[in-house]
Amino acid sequence: MADLQLKNIYKKYAGGVTAVSDFCLDIADKEFIILVGPSGCGKSTTLRMIAGLEEISEGELYIDGKLVNDVAPKDRDIAMVFQNYALYPHMTVFENMAFGLKLRKTPKDEIKKRVTEAAKILDIEHLLDRKPKALSGGQRQRVALGRAIVRDPKVFLMDEPLSNLDAKLRVQMRTEINKLHKKLQTTFIYVTHDQTEAMTMGTRIVVMKDGLIQQVDTPANLYTKPCNVFVAGFMGSPQMNFVNAVVSQKSDGVYLEFNNQEIKLPEGKASKPELQAYIGKEVIMGIRPEDIHDEETFVNSRPECVVDAYVEISEMMGAETFLYLTIGGAPFTARVNQRSTAKVNDTIKVALEANKIHLFDKDTELAIIH
Amino acid sequence: MRGLKRRSIGSIVADVIIYFLLAFFAVITVIPFVYVIAASFAPEYEILTRPLFIIPKTFTLDAYARIFDPNDYGLTVLRSLGVSVLVTAIGTITNLFFTTTMAYGLSRKSLKGRNFILNCVIFTMVFSGGMIPTFLIVKGLGMYNTYAALILPGAISAYNMIIVRNFFQELPSGLEEAAAIDGCTDIGIFLKIALPLSLPMLATFGLFYAVGHWNNYFGALLYLSDPMKYPFQLILRNIVMLSQETQNDPNALQPQETLKMAIIVIGTVPILCVYPFLQKHFAAGVMVGAIKG
Repeated sequence: MADLQLKNIYKKYAGGVTAVSDFCLDIADKEFIILVGPSGCGKSTTLRMIAGLEEISEGELYIDGKLVNDVAPKDRDIAMVFQNYALYPHMTVFENMAFGLKLRKTPKDEIKKRVTEAAKILDIEHLLDRKPKALSGGQRQRVALGRAIVRDPKVFLMDEPLSNLDAKLRVQMRTEINKLHKKLQTTFIYVTHDQTEAMTMGTRIVVMKDGLIQQVDTPANLYTKPCNVFVAGFMGSPQMNFVNAVVSQKSDGVYLEFNNQEIKLPEGKASKPELQAYIGKEVIMGIRPEDIHDEETFVNSRPECVVDAYVEISEMMGAETFLYLTIGGAPFTARVNQRSTAKVNDTIKVALEANKIHLFDKDTELAIIH
Repeated sequence: MRGLKRRSIGSIVADVIIYFLLAFFAVITVIPFVYVIAASFAPEYEILTRPLFIIPKTFTLDAYARIFDPNDYGLTVLRSLGVSVLVTAIGTITNLFFTTTMAYGLSRKSLKGRNFILNCVIFTMVFSGGMIPTFLIVKGLGMYNTYAALILPGAISAYNMIIVRNFFQELPSGLEEAAAIDGCTDIGIFLKIALPLSLPMLATFGLFYAVGHWNNYFGALLYLSDPMKYPFQLILRNIVMLSQETQNDPNALQPQETLKMAIIVIGTVPILCVYPFLQKHFAAGVMVGAIKG
């Protein structure tokens, strides 16, 4: 158990490439922090700097209040789970899990006890005598987790540990890791490019892009109050719909006009002082797919938010249906009820839930109002 | 699915030709071996009267009895065998130690100047020092007439070292990183992770080096002046050379053919005995560096 402070951390490679810039973050004890972002955003590099596998070019890293920039990985009291598991192929599962303890000269009885306990938690007791090549992907992943658990480290680092698993197993392991965090009560730092993993697992999420932190917040806040267009688009699947719109003041309220369509902003949003500077200007309007409705009752109850939409594709997902629409020429995705009667090539009426609309500055792409 | 297809006549004919050629080359490779072994158990007159045979008409152990007779060749042969075993064992261990340690070091991206060092190694593959300068260095270093002269000048084969380095480079970096986090030092990673994963490679190059040491007579011919230190292959070579030098001299005492055959068998059998134990690793190891993954 430990807290971490990352102060103005940079990673610069020879040749002038900067992978991580000015990374500042305080991680509290027992937190489950997720680093998320697209490939090449610097999330794995950051994790590897915390592990000591990459040198920190600038800045300071503290674990439990102790500066560890120049401390070797083995002396940082961390454990790491790798994307490709990194199990030692010449050792059995037991030996894999016991390796770190043996190197630390832990008594044999203690090693056996800890490995057995970890194996019990992960339900791999029956695999202890097998070599990694005789295990399935999911079992290997459990062993990799077990190897980390037995060490009882201050910090768990996980570098996309589920990305090599199939979709079903990934969901299962996601739950297992969540349970593990609750059980172990240790600081977890988890890297992923999968926003669903990020949303479901983290107590806080760090969204990164091009080596820079975009936003650090709870999953709910990231989803409902993204600080910029990138975060708004990255979090959520299908992603948020964006369209350029002009904010116009009319006698009966504030409207958003886009592609010959217009919707009225509700009073609560229209009266926000942040919006006043944008009257008459173009902004980026964002709306999540689940905030576009085609149900008749909803459409009838919000005439000021109704627009015409042409249905290009309809995807029946089981519990819901994705409609790929064109509204005034701009592409939109709507997540509607599976009982939706919308058909491909139909022009239908949809209501944009104006209360859930996000507006972003067109130049800076920063959020204006949520 | 391929097995379900009807095979064409051309394909069958091609297979017949291929199998015939393989069998032919197998026979011309194996026959001399079998002949040498058979002749070593045959009496002298049978060798002189029968041009080629694989089973002797008369079976005798006379040649072997002479070779191991302490009053005849026995002491020389046993002593030289002992020397060969010693030089082969120590030489192979030395080779593997220096080859793997240098190869592992050069495979690490964190080693500054590794390309320069590697180029220096490659340079020696193209431009070697030559026999006389090497001899002078060996003598200058006080290794003349010592077993060190048979081991140290060839402690690393540049060619083997480069292949081993490529193998180490292909080991997944995640394993080393996991070991580093688990608590291994650099030497620990080498000993506990890299080497155990390289057993097929070690077996392969160990066999290459061992066969090289066992069969090497030229180093001993150059660097050893004391006949008491001669390895077995030099004794064998001297016996064969004596036979060639004296074959036109009716007064010279020629070593018997059967004795030559027996001593060749004794020189070959130890390495043949080692091979089956390494064969499994060897088969895997010869592909080292050939393909990635």
